[in-house]
Amino acid sequence: MMERWVIVAVIIALYLGVTLGIGLRAGLRASKSVTGFVAGDRAFGLLIMYFIFGATMFSAFAFLGGPGWAYSRGAAAFYILSYGVLGMAPWYSMGPRAARVGREFGFVTQAQLLVGRFPSRALSVIMATLTVLAFVPYVTLQMRGAGIVIEAVTDGHVPLWLGAALAYGIVLIYVLSSGVAAVGWTNTFQGIFMLIIAWTLGIYLPMRLYGGIGPMFERIAAERPELLTAPGLTATGEPWTWGGYSTAILVSALGVAMWPHLFMKAFTARDDRTIRRTVVLFPTFQLFLIPVFIIGFAGVLFPERPPDPDFILPFMILRSDLPALVVGLFCAGALSASMSTGDALLHAGASITVEDGIRPFRDLTDDQQRRWMRALVVGLGAVSYFFALYQGISLVRLLLSSYGIIVQFMPPLLAALYWRRATTAGVVSGLLSGTAVTVFFFIQGHLRPLDLHEGILGVLVHVPVLVGVSLLTRDARPAATDRFLAVARGGRGG
Amino acid sequence: MMRPWIRGGTAVFFLLFAAGVTWPGMVPFNRIEPLVLGLPFSMAWIAFLVALSFLVLAILDRVEEKAERRDGEDA
Repeated sequence: MMERWVIVAVIIALYLGVTLGIGLRAGLRASKSVTGFVAGDRAFGLLIMYFIFGATMFSAFAFLGGPGWAYSRGAAAFYILSYGVLGMAPWYSMGPRAARVGREFGFVTQAQLLVGRFPSRALSVIMATLTVLAFVPYVTLQMRGAGIVIEAVTDGHVPLWLGAALAYGIVLIYVLSSGVAAVGWTNTFQGIFMLIIAWTLGIYLPMRLYGGIGPMFERIAAERPELLTAPGLTATGEPWTWGGYSTAILVSALGVAMWPHLFMKAFTARDDRTIRRTVVLFPTFQLFLIPVFIIGFAGVLFPERPPDPDFILPFMILRSDLPALVVGLFCAGALSASMSTGDALLHAGASITVEDGIRPFRDLTDDQQRRWMRALVVGLGAVSYFFALYQGISLVRLLLSSYGIIVQFMPPLLAALYWRRATTAGVVSGLLSGTAVTVFFFIQGHLRPLDLHEGILGVLVHVPVLVGVSLLTRDARPAATDRFLAVARGGRGG
Repeated sequence: MMRPWIRGGTAVFFLLFAAGVTWPGMVPFNRIEPLVLGLPFSMAWIAFLVALSFLVLAILDRVEEKAERRDGEDA
């Protein structure tokens, strides 16, 4: 009889092999240009877009962090269910606008769109820097998630550093070879996989441990009711505040569509129709989160406690007498969640650094750009991997912090696509002041009034500064601005 | 003709959504009983809003699609 961990390891290896194959094959079709590597030649259809958005958003954060929060903080995790659709809805109008100007002016990144409307190399570099700053914790958490799961399901035979390196070594290979086309196709495969695993476990575990979902919640209601009503608990088990919970929802909703790696997918869509349909379908992906929470709650009355709440899912799986095959598949599901986000982040981070951080200052040939991007994919991966081995903060806390920076992209992007009167000076000063306030309250967390998220505090300063300075300054190139907005609108009141 | 109304309606819906999942709008729905499909009421409430969003967006999209097609023919 083979030891369980060996069977599990074989399944993981098979899964990684299939993913690599899909990722490499995807590259065979895309063009070798920068537009091919970064924007998929602007040809992604609905299926791919649906899974790019869904699977990219559902990362190790949702698959491990979400249940981890449900397990340790109860209804606090509901914030995750609350913000997704709220944040994606404005994309119905914004996405097509971004796509139109992208097509017309050749943008492949978010910063290019901003600079297209508000010419400023400083703005470009600021955006690139903030993006990388927000990305690194996010990639780190994905790598940690992958490493945690592999270590747990192989009973420690494949330690965290090796598991994370293997999973992300595969990611590096297919991103380097195929660019964003690899991201699209592997996300589709991984997204489908994640959904199947989430629903299967979400029904199986409560059945097995409590006799059903209803009975499970009734028992939790009897023994630990404080876990089932918002705002739930903090990491230390104290009641969380409505201020903290509500602004976590708001900052995440305002920020989610602003993530550069998601935003720039507007430039990969085949047409506006596709973007709009992706938004309409998005709530369905959101509903798929529900089994993930159920799994977390299933752990609440579990007799043993995992070393870390983020481990609750693999912890329960391993102690539920499931066949090795199922354990292996679960692990593949968790890896899907992690890799489908990590690949998008690495790819986008590298593309953005080159396009927005280097190209405004140096002329590069297409070939040189691609080489730089590849080097940066490796570089970003290495930095994040380093942190992944030494980090200790909760997976969700890491991400919630990154949102504080990302949400500062919302005012300038709205201004660029909708507000005639906005000026470059207004946008740059707003961005700098908003970021400064956010960073201040992030460091001095105890000074935050009403426990409001630091990103929201930043926005409260950002917007008045943007508006005020814009009104006090003048547009240097009104004809170009008119043209930009006309293209964005699509000429027919879109 | 319908377009501005549907768009406005959609925007209002999402503002209500935001109000209904944060304080104080969430408070009346913030209870455990009755369980809905086995889920605590608080969770079911949010899931219900998400499902409703799908409908609202689908309606918006239908109206926008028809208007686009009509505009396309007039052009």
